[in-house]
Amino acid sequence: MESCTKCGNPNVIIKRKASGQALCKDCFIESIEKKVKQTIKKEKFLEKGDKVLVALSGGKDSVVTLEILNSYVKRYIIELCAVTIDEGIAGYRDEGVEIAKAHAERLGIPHKVVSFKESFGIDLDEIMETEGHRGSCTYCGVFRRWIINRAAREFGATKIATGHNLDDETQAILMNYLEGNMENLAKIGPKTESNSEMFTVKIKPLREIPEKEIGLYAIAKGLDIHFAGCPYAQESFRMEISNILKDLSKDHPTIMYSTLRGFDKIRQALRQELAHDYEYDRCERCGEPSSNRLCRACTFLEELGK
Amino acid sequence: MSFTLKIKDQVEERVIDGDLTIKDLLDELDLSSETMVSKKNGEIVIEEETIEDGDEIEFIQIIYGG
Repeated sequence: MESCTKCGNPNVIIKRKASGQALCKDCFIESIEKKVKQTIKKEKFLEKGDKVLVALSGGKDSVVTLEILNSYVKRYIIELCAVTIDEGIAGYRDEGVEIAKAHAERLGIPHKVVSFKESFGIDLDEIMETEGHRGSCTYCGVFRRWIINRAAREFGATKIATGHNLDDETQAILMNYLEGNMENLAKIGPKTESNSEMFTVKIKPLREIPEKEIGLYAIAKGLDIHFAGCPYAQESFRMEISNILKDLSKDHPTIMYSTLRGFDKIRQALRQELAHDYEYDRCERCGEPSSNRLCRACTFLEELGK
Repeated sequence: MSFTLKIKDQVEERVIDGDLTIKDLLDELDLSSETMVSKKNGEIVIEEETIEDGDEIEFIQIIYGG
């Protein structure tokens, strides 16, 4: 059996095919925290005095984001706050909400739970019972972003941190490229860079960490995590791309890293060529920023008769 | 020889027939090591770890589709 490449401990918990490293629990935890901090520094995610809102679902990615960002709170660099969204999915969401609440309380972080029902008068279970709906993920993504943007303003947050990981980023790059959706491809990056002051900057501290290592970190640290699959998850193009990347990674373990690294090299050129700043105004219905008369959330709500 | 296998709330006793590693067991159950973390007697282990008589093996699914 191999021992830890760094300290020689015989109790190895991971063998990284990409680097050939074998690591014990302590060295693995340290390596993840170091890597995330390097990303934060490289991308200039944090400035002293920032108030960072974490979109906290109770799942591994958001809990690990909160846990690592909290080390900056301990060093008096930033403040944290968190929002958890209750989409209204019976038998699934409640456990995540309770876990999120417990983490916020444990770390002494101001936290609020906001439901689709209180925000929009309808929850996801009810939406899924309507005829001709657009599919759960479409509503969920749009409504969650609406709530997170609003919560950031209510908390006075200067940044929003999400738990996007290496798998999420490489999936998004490949999906948009393969679909020829170059405008969306140009929007992918470590942080959102809208010219409009109506949007709070979003940062992705975990974007260089593979999803599996985030799960392993959470378990190695003994963090309580809501490990469960959304009952509305369905076969999607993203899932097909995810499976292709996982298969490729078996024989080409650096493939996700190189996809992201390569994309980051052409990102600025893509933005210059393809991204255009929309003229933002206020949505007539809810007052949130929108480049059209109605924002997408309100467009959906009108369709749903809400 | 036997060991205990725990996946979520399901616990079962399984009999070992010859040498068995975590990887062998994952393959046998058609589970992907890419989506699972494995524990042996409460400690995280890699998939080359051998399962021995009386061990408690736990698989925790950390990646879900969707």
